[in-house]
Amino acid sequence: MSHMEIELEINDVERTVEASKSDSLLDVLRRNGYTGAKRGCDTGACGFCTVHVDGTPVKSCVEPVTKVRDASIETIEGLGDQDDLHPIQQAFVDNTALQCGFCIPGMIMRSTALLKGNPSPTEQEVREALSDNLCRCTGYKKIVEAVLDAAERMDGGTAVAADGGKAGDSRVATVTECSVNGNGCDCVEGDQ
Amino acid sequence: MSDSDRAQELSEQPDRTGVERTDPTEADTESETDAAREPDRKPKSERDAITADEEKDDARKIVTGEARYTADYRDRFPDLANGKVVRSDIAHGYVESVDTSAAEAMDGVDAVITPFDDVVPDKLYSSSGQSYPEPSPWDLKVLREHVRFVGDPVAAVAADDPEAADRAARKIEIEYRELDAVFDPEEAFDEDAPQLFEADEVENKQSGADYSRNLESGFEGELGDVDAACEAAEAAADQHVIQTEWETPYQSHCVPEPHTTIAYTDEDDRHVFITATQVPFHTRRQIAHLFDVPIRDVRVKKPRIGAGFGSKQEMAIEPIAFALHLAAGRPVKLEMSRQEEFTALRFRHPMQMQMRTAVTDDGDIEAMDLYTLSNSGAYGTHGMTVANNVGTKPLPLYPRVQNVRFAGDVVHTNLPMGAAMRGYGAPQGHFAVEAHMDEVARRLGFDPIEFRLRNAVREGDLDRSVAILKDGDRFTRRIRSCGVRECVDRGKAAIGYDELEQPEEDHLKRGVGMALIAQGSGVAGKELGAAQVQMNEDGSFHLQVGGVDTGTGADTMFSQIAAEVLGCTPEDVVVIAADTDLTPFDYGAYASSTTYISGRAVKNAAEDAKERLLDWGSKLLDEPPNVLDTGDGGVYSERTGNRVSLEEIGYKATYGDDEREHILGDGNHSTDESPPPYGAQFVDVTVDTETGEYELNKLVFAADCGVAINPALVEGQIEGGEHMSLEYATSGGLTFDEGGNPEVLGFRQYGMPRTTDHPEMETILVETHEPTGPFGAKSIAELPTNGVPPALSNAIRDAVGVRLTELPFTADNLKAALDERSADDR
Repeated sequence: MSHMEIELEINDVERTVEASKSDSLLDVLRRNGYTGAKRGCDTGACGFCTVHVDGTPVKSCVEPVTKVRDASIETIEGLGDQDDLHPIQQAFVDNTALQCGFCIPGMIMRSTALLKGNPSPTEQEVREALSDNLCRCTGYKKIVEAVLDAAERMDGGTAVAADGGKAGDSRVATVTECSVNGNGCDCVEGDQ
Repeated sequence: MSDSDRAQELSEQPDRTGVERTDPTEADTESETDAAREPDRKPKSERDAITADEEKDDARKIVTGEARYTADYRDRFPDLANGKVVRSDIAHGYVESVDTSAAEAMDGVDAVITPFDDVVPDKLYSSSGQSYPEPSPWDLKVLREHVRFVGDPVAAVAADDPEAADRAARKIEIEYRELDAVFDPEEAFDEDAPQLFEADEVENKQSGADYSRNLESGFEGELGDVDAACEAAEAAADQHVIQTEWETPYQSHCVPEPHTTIAYTDEDDRHVFITATQVPFHTRRQIAHLFDVPIRDVRVKKPRIGAGFGSKQEMAIEPIAFALHLAAGRPVKLEMSRQEEFTALRFRHPMQMQMRTAVTDDGDIEAMDLYTLSNSGAYGTHGMTVANNVGTKPLPLYPRVQNVRFAGDVVHTNLPMGAAMRGYGAPQGHFAVEAHMDEVARRLGFDPIEFRLRNAVREGDLDRSVAILKDGDRFTRRIRSCGVRECVDRGKAAIGYDELEQPEEDHLKRGVGMALIAQGSGVAGKELGAAQVQMNEDGSFHLQVGGVDTGTGADTMFSQIAAEVLGCTPEDVVVIAADTDLTPFDYGAYASSTTYISGRAVKNAAEDAKERLLDWGSKLLDEPPNVLDTGDGGVYSERTGNRVSLEEIGYKATYGDDEREHILGDGNHSTDESPPPYGAQFVDVTVDTETGEYELNKLVFAADCGVAINPALVEGQIEGGEHMSLEYATSGGLTFDEGGNPEVLGFRQYGMPRTTDHPEMETILVETHEPTGPFGAKSIAELPTNGVPPALSNAIRDAVGVRLTELPFTADNLKAALDERSADDR
């Protein structure tokens, strides 16, 4: 393995990590203790490894680590603690929107990105935004319900009910970029 | 007389079985037993921990990414080596030589193993995680000199990092002597077909094996006289014989966490496996036998696992990981790739089935005759037992039919091996039986639901068909709980069965279909669960249980059952599960056994501990134990209302002056019972008659799983099961080229349904009380995997009048069927 050093910001902490040229971002994250992102396919097809790179959800298993030098990475470990869950995490717990849990960190990171860009999505928009992330256990029903519930908890739901204008604007921006992956998607992975 | 009147009239008729003498449970003792068990039945108002949506005990660590699956343990092993398997790229042949020199010379390579190495046992074994001795044939070797499909493991490498392991694996040169291969199960049956197993290459005690014809197993069972009944029906003016044929493909478990194992030897010279398994205790025994080490020196630990669905009811990769570990002298992690999962691991068996019934003009079924030809693929793990369940799961939906035959052949081909997969033959069987029943009803002019209910199982029925392949009546069962009719009624209302509106466009046709469903609760007569409860000073408990939570929430269910008995909260029960060093024995998570078998063992253990709680409560309250009960964190007197907290009991028992005791309870459970949970799957579909494309508008599943210990988790089981069943009906499947090379290598080619592929789903729980289950519970895990193929076939038949018989239903096939019908009409 030819080693090099890569500088990254992971969950707001500057890190210098060792990597080889062929490493994916997922390889590097998991080697450095960020094991919340799971290896499900290594081909960008399942979404279990979804993390944020500079605010955009990416499948870290097909993201060369050399491409994310100096980038800001956010993983599930940066979201909330067991005693102080992020509202999206809390909604997944309260809606029993998880079983084996292997897909859940990626699913939550994808949902976080969705609600950032579109605080009050319709059910169809949630389904489209999550369509790149597979789940084998739940039939997706409770997951979709959890994301809609999280939007309510984060006030997005009431915003659209009271005033469609504000939420509608960000929704338009999201959909214009990519209906699957949200803002900043290059649609290479989204198209499957 | 309307259909419903006729159904009503039939339901007033006496039981037609006429086989009371074969009833294994005398009627009077049964009612006595039920009365004795009556305390188990709690009205909803008296339930504390059960039938509550208790938070899944691992939910918070899952959503924070802290839940540890096998591969997440890598940081505990600084010198961990990474394994990689080298697999056959031919479908059939013998390995002539393996050149490992280039791989071994590479930097960072710790070990290379081949079938010719001493650390690799030269023994036959079965990988099926079944009780001992496994009913599956012993036909595997850890690494294979005789390869039988593209993907058979031939060699393996351990290296310092995964990249080096991959590079080294590619440097291994294998020379083969190729043999003719066979890929079609009917051709494999021919006398002249290439033979997969020589006599000395398999040990098989199954019925009807004949390896000269690639037959792993052939079986047949009959009640009454099916041929006579069908002949009589053919001759009668008021009876009909109808035969149909059905075909199903391979299905992948798409298990989220690929098979992963870490194997090492600890400082006490004991061999430890951290492994993604549904069967830790079977794996411990099988490793011990295969590598000739004592069972006491093997420890199998199941961490969180990323689901199993049957794919991990297998010792699929542990032996390779262990052999690599022995060769490398370091801990080894072996983690399958997704491509290996899709090409080389385990699958649902493809099958071809024929169903024949004799039916009267009144809608009575006189005979049922089911045959299946199962493609076992290259090896026989679960081959016979899965095929057995094709009949023994759905045929008991109609237990009053007098003449029943069920037969099957299980045939080897040079394709990947079928194995256990959620439903275990029942998804194939329900497709044949429940789509057949619908077809019969429509051809004879009955309402398909009324026809089914006229013949369907009722509480009190004696079910002989579940034991049709067994000698004697030991496994004949009395149906003690049955919510089939309420499932149908509530499902009909939810799907809008009686008020379906047709689309305005002429080329769009809407229809609705239904399938009845049954499963079992564990393997009758082949289960054992055990548990132990230990009290802590502060009134909390540790529960050690062998039962395996594969992600379903079983650990949470265990804590609820224990809490309901002990009178504490589920949070006060710390569950330690599925570690062969720390917990009592359990057969493992398969056959929908965990709530019914392991959960009952937990209940027994908690009741054992409860006796000691009441004894201490009696001393401290100065009242006799028989007026005391547990509840609200204490022991209280039903007579005086006085109470003592569990905490006080815990401290007094542990540190008392006069007397001290660690309050413990243990429990076992084994039984010949396997009560069926029931369900009704409804599908609402719209078909485009111009293109053959169809869209599902809604799925409704109504389930009778007895008492749902945790309703939210039960709903999750149902919705996830329907997801797999939806895939089976509409997408998925594996294809191979003419050389047996797999064409489906990953999720992209496979077509697992995504969020956007799912229609609206409605889930209905119908509560019944199963007197033999813990607090009235039956099973739920497999039941919902059975319904969508028949219900969708029935819905399409309802919408456009054509019958689809081959999974998955494609637009092309539907268009072809529509065109064929138009041609017939002209």
